[in-house]
Amino acid sequence: MNWKLPAAIVIIIALLGVGTYLVMRPSPPFVPGWTGPIPEERVKIGVFGPMEFSQGAHMWHGAVMAAEHINSAGGVRIGDRRVPIELVKVDTNEILSASDAKSAVERAITVDKVDFCIGGFRTESVWGMLETAMDHRKIWLICGSATDELCTQTVPVNYDRYKYLFRVTPIKSTYLFYVSTKLLRTVVEEIRENLGIAEPKVAVLAEKLAWADRIADLATKPYQGFAGTPYENKSLLEASLGVKVVGAWRPSHVATDLTSELTAIKNTGAHIIFTVFSGPVGVTFGRQWGELQVPAAAVGINVEAQKKSYWEETKGYCEYELLMTTYVPGVAIVENLTVPWVEEYMNRYNDYPTYEAGTYDAVFLLAEAITRVGGKENVDAIVAELERTGTRPDLMQTYRNFPDGVGTAGRLLFDNNHDVRWGPGLVTGLGAQWRNGGLVGVHPYEDTAGPLTGLPAFGTYPGTVPYRLPPRVVSYYAR
Amino acid sequence: MTFLQRLRDFLREEVFSLPSRAVVFLACIFLLFLPLFAGNPYQLQVMVLTNLFAIYAASWDLLSGYTGQVSFGHALFFGVSAYSAALLNLRLGWPCWLTIPAGALVAVLTGLLVGVPCLRLRGPYLALATLAFPIILTGIVFAFPETTGGEFGLSGLSRLTPSRVYDYYLSLFLMMGCVFLMWKIANSKIGIILHSIREDEIASRACGINTSRYKLLAFSLSGFFAGLAGSVFAHFMRAVGPLTLDTSISFQAVIWTVFGGITSIYGAVGGVYILYPLLEFFRLAPQLRLLSFAVIVIVVLFFMPEGLLRWVRDRVEVECPRCKKRNTSGRRSCRVCGAPLGG
Amino acid sequence: MIPELIVNGAATGGVFALLAVGFSLIFGVARIINLSHTAFGMLAAYLLYALVTSYGLNFYLSVLLSILLTVLIGTLLYRLCLHPVREHELTVLVISVALGVLIQQVMVQLFGGTFRSLPSFAAGYLEVFGVRVLKGHLLVLGIALLSLLALWLLLTRTKLGIAIRATAQDREMANLVGINVGWICTLTMALALALAALSGTLIGPLITLSPWTWLQLLVVVLAVVVLGGLGSLKGSLIAAFLLGYTETAVVFFVPMGSFLRGVASLTVMLIVLVLRPEGLFGISFEEERL
Repeated sequence: MNWKLPAAIVIIIALLGVGTYLVMRPSPPFVPGWTGPIPEERVKIGVFGPMEFSQGAHMWHGAVMAAEHINSAGGVRIGDRRVPIELVKVDTNEILSASDAKSAVERAITVDKVDFCIGGFRTESVWGMLETAMDHRKIWLICGSATDELCTQTVPVNYDRYKYLFRVTPIKSTYLFYVSTKLLRTVVEEIRENLGIAEPKVAVLAEKLAWADRIADLATKPYQGFAGTPYENKSLLEASLGVKVVGAWRPSHVATDLTSELTAIKNTGAHIIFTVFSGPVGVTFGRQWGELQVPAAAVGINVEAQKKSYWEETKGYCEYELLMTTYVPGVAIVENLTVPWVEEYMNRYNDYPTYEAGTYDAVFLLAEAITRVGGKENVDAIVAELERTGTRPDLMQTYRNFPDGVGTAGRLLFDNNHDVRWGPGLVTGLGAQWRNGGLVGVHPYEDTAGPLTGLPAFGTYPGTVPYRLPPRVVSYYAR
Repeated sequence: MTFLQRLRDFLREEVFSLPSRAVVFLACIFLLFLPLFAGNPYQLQVMVLTNLFAIYAASWDLLSGYTGQVSFGHALFFGVSAYSAALLNLRLGWPCWLTIPAGALVAVLTGLLVGVPCLRLRGPYLALATLAFPIILTGIVFAFPETTGGEFGLSGLSRLTPSRVYDYYLSLFLMMGCVFLMWKIANSKIGIILHSIREDEIASRACGINTSRYKLLAFSLSGFFAGLAGSVFAHFMRAVGPLTLDTSISFQAVIWTVFGGITSIYGAVGGVYILYPLLEFFRLAPQLRLLSFAVIVIVVLFFMPEGLLRWVRDRVEVECPRCKKRNTSGRRSCRVCGAPLGG
Repeated sequence: MIPELIVNGAATGGVFALLAVGFSLIFGVARIINLSHTAFGMLAAYLLYALVTSYGLNFYLSVLLSILLTVLIGTLLYRLCLHPVREHELTVLVISVALGVLIQQVMVQLFGGTFRSLPSFAAGYLEVFGVRVLKGHLLVLGIALLSLLALWLLLTRTKLGIAIRATAQDREMANLVGINVGWICTLTMALALALAALSGTLIGPLITLSPWTWLQLLVVVLAVVVLGGLGSLKGSLIAAFLLGYTETAVVFFVPMGSFLRGVASLTVMLIVLVLRPEGLFGISFEEERL
């Protein structure tokens, strides 16, 4: 026998053996901001996300910043001890494989021995990840997926098993719809005032995914609650905003070409395009909407448009697009907290923080709960403490000089499903418009309560400016 | 002769007479006792998935390796079965021991449904047609989100077994059973017919074989085993989504099997057992994961284009020129007929 | 509605045709299964991006350079990895997929997973029959038709073209007749790569470019070439426009189902294959009898 065969066999066995040994060792501790020797006792927080993609990167950035801030101030106070926060970066690859994600969580819990879990982006994979975490009774703070069902189908259905699950960011899909309705209202009122059109036409351009279906349905289908009223046969959107919905186009969330859809929309004479995008199709939209100079104002949800690189990716054609986001530089959701935090984030990472960076608040939440309970082992007590978040406005936080529950995006308050609540004074979401290469905050700006919908008023946040219609829309309809 | 003596003779003559069989035997023992020295839930989880994917890859080999109907859409059977099991479990409340075979049966029906239009297609045309089916099914999944859960998938399926260790043994015995069955089929008369269809379908038809029937049989058998893997996967993950129909899962079957050695059930199984844990090891360097996977596949296939395990086996065993039985290379005479083996 | 349908359908068809040209040559004519074809196109697109934005080179020079570099890298990889094992069809297939993944991961390492926007040859739109079309789409349509014509002329009117076709039909006979089979295969590969690179640089600005885009495009390209029939350039052209119009029709007539445009294309392909197993204009080769 020549050398190739024994070499091959030895290489295979060695690879498998060494590989198994290495993968079963916990990762070396990463305690950002901690000075001095690393003690045995640490608060281990696993950050679970698709780390090769921007969503995971933002999750990690937010968590690192929080750990640094807490560790450099001495760490987590447990009784009279000071314990550092250790972060474990777990690349779940959840966008491409659900089984990979589940294995990653299993490894993080049983090999790396994380105490708490934050993250979770792609819902399809999050289900499997959740089950693993709940099996091991680990607290999981969702920072990424907005699917309502992750909270409504778990916590109330089997509280004993799922009570360890909370959602910190973003606000759930239903709330996302409310915010985008408010943004749509801003545009509608601007069109009424500037162009004198009483009933603007709206074209719905929503990616074909289940989360967007609800929004598309509320925008296009006749709302049952209106039967027998003068609004019969109108959809919720039409009735509450006084618009006419001329059609709904549902491209794939990874569509690379929207020129046909945009041409068809232009044909209908729509004044507004209501977008509902979470995937790469959002970038295609921004570029082609601008390059084809479609005479319609773009407003709605476009997750890709929240990134700083969106301007470059669309070659600047996205200017005047209005979208929902969680953080905008210069807009003070919470005075003295949001603006400096966004600034620091942008200086460090050269990008706008997206909603995934809410892991920052999640880490603070955990540190706070651990300190109040006096330890990290009694998870049931920590759960009870987390449930009380935001309910005690007179109580000041331990690690930052703000009242109980107040975070960078607003005051965190959980409902009975352990889901973050939306409303004035709580987490609100913002509306931002692309202008001159950057995002500018335009909502809440003189926001009033919704006429039919009963949506509350949010007033004006310092740092917001009035919305502006795309000039080409104004000139096209001014005749 | 006592039972022990008979066992010892059996082992000596049948199992340890050939290096490949000895390796398989030792591997089975190793896998049986794995939880004793590697019982961590994470390791067991990886091994359960490896076992399931081994069944899946072997089923692809049966269809594409033996019958020559190269399929680029094997994820169809995997996903259809997973979704069926999930729907039966969630909507009708069926327990897993019913949903799993039911899912496999749905996959068999799908195999027939897909096989019929593919009867007249050859080579790249067949490969493309099979590629299209899971993509079309994914479109249907997205088009009916109230039934299928759309991109969220279906969740909350009942557990496979109450504990991870039982899960492991269930998947292990299932894998051993299925692979043994597939190996038996491949080496039976049906296997020879399938092989002849691949080599020369016209000649095969000239011999009076109803090739259409056997091609459909290959689709059904392959669908059955892939479906079994899919529905067990669904209950193990406790959630099913459109990723089970993804093109990458179809391609994985091809990569694993060709890496190990096509047209040999053991090649597919071995390929999975080497490559899947290897992919897991790269969790330590996630950026290099897919890159290293691609490089390893390219390098290995460059040196051993017939597949790694087939290459290894061809080095350690030779075929007797007279009776065609395999012998350890280095032997001077055949162990069965005594004919001299070339030096 | 009708002028929009015609114009947009032609634009989509043009994109498909340009993508399919090189693939039709390598897969259809030469029967070399190279599933990383679109990945090389994407490589060229990324190279163009890097040359223009990071090195600030002149646009047209960058296009030329990126095509040249892609051809070089691709031909090298082909000779190293695929050519030695060309006897084993499936192995070639798997290695080509692995090459595609390799390119994808290298792009991820170098450029990250974010979307890149390529500078375009011609920005803005034109009005054709009252319909707004991106100038980029018109350019793609024009180049697609030109390159198909050029390729057809090459394959039918030149000695090189005949050599390529001969090698594809029957390798052993071509060898016997005196054709240097290895060199012809390499040349065919280089030509196909050049076409892939050209399509990458032209189509890149029209789509959202990410390291994973090549898989989506691969499915499209495979569908077009198979539908048209392997070995037939005319078939690929017709299939490209057939599928382009199918997709555009879906968007216009079933706006709620515009996400199904890809599925519609594949369904059309399946239906045609069931009726004509060799594709629309496929040339069937006699199976090799041993």
